[in-house]
Amino acid sequence: MSKDLEVIYSRTELLFKRISRTQYWIQVANDPYDRSYNFFFNSQRKGERLKSVPLHRVDNYDLKYLEQLIAELRKKTSLTIRFIGFTTLRWPKTQKLIQWKRDKLE
Amino acid sequence: MFIDDEPRGVFFLIDNKSFYASCEAIQRGYNPLKVPLVVLSEARNTNGGLILATSPEAKRLFHLTANVSRKRDLPRDPRLQVVPPRMNLYIQRNVQINNIFTRFAAEDDVWPYSIDESILDMTHSWRLFGNSPREVARLIQKTVRQELGLYTTVGIGDNPVQAKIALDVYAKHMHDLIDEIHYETISEKIWTINELTEVWGIGKRTAKHLRRLKIHNMYELAHTNPYLLKQKMGVIGTQLFATAWGVDRSRLSYKPITKSASIGNSQVLPRDYQKQIEIETVIKEIGEQVAARLRHHNKLTKCLSLDIGFSYAATDEDGRDGFHHALSIDPTNNDHEITRQLLFLFRKNWEGQAVRNIAVYSSRLIANTGQQLDLFSSLDRQAKNEKLSYVIDEIHKRFGFTKLVYATSLTKGGTAIERAKLVGGHNGGNSYE
Repeated sequence: MSKDLEVIYSRTELLFKRISRTQYWIQVANDPYDRSYNFFFNSQRKGERLKSVPLHRVDNYDLKYLEQLIAELRKKTSLTIRFIGFTTLRWPKTQKLIQWKRDKLE
Repeated sequence: MFIDDEPRGVFFLIDNKSFYASCEAIQRGYNPLKVPLVVLSEARNTNGGLILATSPEAKRLFHLTANVSRKRDLPRDPRLQVVPPRMNLYIQRNVQINNIFTRFAAEDDVWPYSIDESILDMTHSWRLFGNSPREVARLIQKTVRQELGLYTTVGIGDNPVQAKIALDVYAKHMHDLIDEIHYETISEKIWTINELTEVWGIGKRTAKHLRRLKIHNMYELAHTNPYLLKQKMGVIGTQLFATAWGVDRSRLSYKPITKSASIGNSQVLPRDYQKQIEIETVIKEIGEQVAARLRHHNKLTKCLSLDIGFSYAATDEDGRDGFHHALSIDPTNNDHEITRQLLFLFRKNWEGQAVRNIAVYSSRLIANTGQQLDLFSSLDRQAKNEKLSYVIDEIHKRFGFTKLVYATSLTKGGTAIERAKLVGGHNGGNSYE
């Protein structure tokens, strides 16, 4: 298991409290300024404020690496992973679009 | 005209729009102006949570004010995003921004004013970058936005105070986030300000004081008798009068000579401390921190002061809100000696009140030129004790503060370990690496 995956997964486990009526998901942001991928753990109880906690920053700014990392992460957790800042980009291996629609807050 | 003799240059005051909130928005891939987001510190002594920053959109949607407010004032709305602070990230961004500024002005002409504000003396360099100061300001804004994603607001003036007022009062409301004040436009830009507290240097108390003198807006301040103002408010009165005329004779490169430096630390406790042992644990921890800083600066202190603030309930009972005492001591920067004197001060004055604030200051500092030995203990011991503190400092420096602490810091009252993670009282962002 790569170091990045280990950090992301272990922190997710700590934060994923499985409280009822609460959504949990992982947000992956493309940060072109820092040339990094930033991981966040988001949770939101129905009708409440969204809470977003930083998980990790992946400094290896390479989509191939990210694709592999996400694939491994998906093996370990079934939490939804949302991508932001990847509009028009495709995964190098599968050639699928990473992010279907541009977020209105982007 | 009087302004012919006043110093005149081209000054930019640049600040970042909702700095912390914008940094966090960009990290998450959002546009800082579009996302409703607040940065909330939940350090243990914030009594629930403290809002450090609010994005422009959150201010607009929920009518939140820019000032630091409490978590309980936040609306429960699913659109709002709440994020923890990462002070180290903001410090890093501040450095990056100032590095960009040094491309537009000499390094000696860039003056960081706060974590998100800088003063730029563009007098000598603006012509290199455009046909007007405004054009150069636009270019700086674009560069920062392009390289860091942050939006900046620029106030332009003939001196720093004009730039500051242009920034605070006008620039943030302008479409391009830029505005200018010059000596020629003082009457239309400064005298028309009706709310005194909007002006740099005038807070609620000063505004109240001015109202008592029948001064209600900047026009009245500029047209009052300056001698009367000085008589009533002292030298600050003169300064306010100068501000009203947009006069600022400060030389940024002038370094004021500190007459008496002091080193100290203070903290608000996470809850009311009742037990003597718990309070003393924290006093010791702060004392050791102050001693370590003294050693770092290679100084000895000749005067220690202890400031204790009572809890609200204890204040009601006692009538005082705390006590403050100082003590002259033999020059030292030794942990043991400093904590001993502090505990002496505490025990002498404390009568069982619940405590919420603790501050320790060391003043009348002198250079550490050598150890003063005393006749009443063995020489060897004294020399070794002196060395011990430096060894501990070295270990802290090399391995981190929390790797070597007194066992008392692990007891219930201790705060040192928890606080070692903080930067400026808030989460430094250690959760990040």
